[in-house]
Amino acid sequence: MPSTAPEQLTATIREFLQRFQPFNRMEAEAITFLAAHLKLAHYPRGSEILTPEMGPPRCCHIVARGQIQSRQAGATAVTEHAMVPLGPGEAFPIGAIAAQRPSTNTYIAVEDSFIYQLAADDFLKLMLMSPVFHLFCTQYIADLLVQSRQQLQTTFSQRAAEQQTMITPLGELLKREPVFVSPNTRTRAALETMANLRIGCMVIADQERRPLGILTLSDILPRVVIPGFDLERPISALMTPNPRALPATASAYDATLEMAAHKFRHLLVVDHQERLLGVISERDLFSLQRISLRQVRATIEGASGVDTLQRASMDIRHLALNLVAQGIAAEQLTRFISSLNDALTRRIMELEIDRHELHDLEYAWLAFGSEGRHEQTLSTDQDNGLIYVCPEGTDKNTLKARLLKFAKDVNDSLAACGFPLCTGNIMASNPELCLTYDEWQRRFEDWIREPDPQALLNASIFFDFRVLAGNEQFGDTLRVWLNRAASKNSSFLMMMAGNALQVSPPLGRIRDFVVEDDGSIDLKKSGARLFVDVARILALRTEVSSSSTVQRLRQAGLRLGMPPEELSAIVDGFNFIQLLRLRSQHLNTEHGAPGDNKINPDKLNEIDRRILKEALRQARKLQLRLKLDYQL
Amino acid sequence: MNWLTRMLFNRTDLSSLNTGLRDALAHWHSLAQPELGKPHFETRYVVLNTETSGFNADRDALLNVAGIAIESGVLVPASSYAAELMPDAATTLMNLLTFCGRGPAVLFNAALNRSMLERGLEKHLGVALDLPTIDLYWLLPALFPEHNNRPVKLSYWVDLFGVETFKRQHALGDAFAIAQLMLIAKSRAIQKGLASAQNLIDLEQTHRQWVRP
Repeated sequence: MPSTAPEQLTATIREFLQRFQPFNRMEAEAITFLAAHLKLAHYPRGSEILTPEMGPPRCCHIVARGQIQSRQAGATAVTEHAMVPLGPGEAFPIGAIAAQRPSTNTYIAVEDSFIYQLAADDFLKLMLMSPVFHLFCTQYIADLLVQSRQQLQTTFSQRAAEQQTMITPLGELLKREPVFVSPNTRTRAALETMANLRIGCMVIADQERRPLGILTLSDILPRVVIPGFDLERPISALMTPNPRALPATASAYDATLEMAAHKFRHLLVVDHQERLLGVISERDLFSLQRISLRQVRATIEGASGVDTLQRASMDIRHLALNLVAQGIAAEQLTRFISSLNDALTRRIMELEIDRHELHDLEYAWLAFGSEGRHEQTLSTDQDNGLIYVCPEGTDKNTLKARLLKFAKDVNDSLAACGFPLCTGNIMASNPELCLTYDEWQRRFEDWIREPDPQALLNASIFFDFRVLAGNEQFGDTLRVWLNRAASKNSSFLMMMAGNALQVSPPLGRIRDFVVEDDGSIDLKKSGARLFVDVARILALRTEVSSSSTVQRLRQAGLRLGMPPEELSAIVDGFNFIQLLRLRSQHLNTEHGAPGDNKINPDKLNEIDRRILKEALRQARKLQLRLKLDYQL
Repeated sequence: MNWLTRMLFNRTDLSSLNTGLRDALAHWHSLAQPELGKPHFETRYVVLNTETSGFNADRDALLNVAGIAIESGVLVPASSYAAELMPDAATTLMNLLTFCGRGPAVLFNAALNRSMLERGLEKHLGVALDLPTIDLYWLLPALFPEHNNRPVKLSYWVDLFGVETFKRQHALGDAFAIAQLMLIAKSRAIQKGLASAQNLIDLEQTHRQWVRP
């Protein structure tokens, strides 16, 4: 009995599909279903098959013949295939269709192409029907992540190449022959030359071209206009003598440092005989490279006052935002932000210690909360405190009064550099938080012994302490003591656990996410904090000394015998939420703006949405563990 | 229903047909004519093909018929039909008619295919085939004059465009190839601004007149 026409055609399609992965491994029932539900379309060369603007794709495409090019739509979108052309047997867009979201890529036929189409509904049915196909789609989405990570690495090496430009010798950066005049030149003539050539500074040099002085545009108002300087007098009476000069062999980086350290806008470049070769302006260096990590760091370390640090903190912000835009991983990014912020805070401390003449002080400056955990995002309030030692024979009250004044100045300087004062007054200038070692220990002890709600809240902030400046020994000793005290007190840990479980992950039973009234999810409150709170308890319990959430999870998890792959999944989940927070702050750079940690899941692309869901599932898993451990 | 159909309908003895076939036939007759001015996307094209014992319409017999639908611009394998005429030609042809509806039909070398089909339909069902027809034999040279502006064998186009099918010289196998050629033709037609079945029919007529003299 010959088969029907649809059966014959389906058999043909099935034979075609079985030449390719994953169809050749698919269950017989599933492949028959697939073949029977395919339709065949033709796309002439150059035509668009699918674009993000088309909305959620109505069907999944499997290339029968021809070639398709996929192109990423946005610069920061997660890459799907990058620019690899798709040939026969390849399917797209798996991620978008599985999540019923618009494709992030545009697909164009680069040859006349025949393409099989499977309606979206049938695609989802197939995923349910076929474990092989389901696995394929899941792995496919995971592969996308690997691909996007590889892309990041490419971006990184590009950045490294950009950094290279900062070691360019200054001699190669000079754009024009130096313009200079002799010291006897009438001021009027010199100024006319500046105006005609539209230059920002004039060099005064001797007959051997050795620089004697410099005059910049910014000097003209205070030195010429206001005092009514006689323009017939020689320019030597007006110039800044002994101008800063660097050899032509010095690097752009050296010049940047020199300018940052002395607040110059222009630097002279000279040859080995000290003869003028040209002038480098701040703008020349700026156009060379915007801001680099090393530069910012160098600027911080060489800063002589708060105003330089203020600029540096802006640079940190810009640099961080750039890196967010480039898609660097959250763990590195938050580490990077906190390392620069640490350097900045340390520099402020050094400057203030100088000013307050506290060189002999034995102290440790503590960071609490997210700063203590190395998890600063771009809008973090100050949370700090001080441990100090009162030397014998010193009046404690007098010393404390001095320290509070010092701490107040540090707090204010930090505020000037973009770390808002803590509204809850968790700052070293608060007498309650400027304590000796023994006082700190007693305080911690009280919270552990009597864990009322306020004590639990305090523990969740202060137990994440970290020494940012001063003697780290104080921090280490305090940590060892705290871990021992807390790990022994299981009723305290149980109270902490109960507290941590009060907020559950915003995952819905029916809808993907449980959102707030404005349709958003608070990634801090009902995202990151879920991980942070559990990690703290696990760390106290297993006496892990790190204050970082990732380290706490990894080390405590290992001690508790959690499988490594499970731990990695949890850490990845946490990191992803942190990345989303940074990204949403990237779009909302207004400091402390209420929308800072909120994200609307509907506005995420399909891959981010899926990962967020997975990340929140990891939080749920972590909480479940805590629930079981403490029978809550 | 035109006068010819009516005449043939009246003349043929349909009493031998069973009730099912008679109902199906009556239903087919009642179908509305297709609107040929609609865009391709809204037109259901039926690609038809036959297999005969030879190439002489008068002498040779119709052995097999096959059809594949193009709906909403894409080839739908699930919407296809193929059958042998033996042993029950009336049922086979009625099923084909039901599958076709009112077309428009797409054939390759319509002259031969059509006359074989017409003969069978007339003999067994008393129907004169009056589907609007697009003949790729003529349409392809009109759309792709850069390749060949004269009508040529099916294998030329199949090879040229690298069209694949499971079996050549087979009613359904060739129908599958012809349907794919129709998709290619439709893509080109759209690029040329020929948006409807009527546009294709007109182009084919113009080309016939141009080639013939």
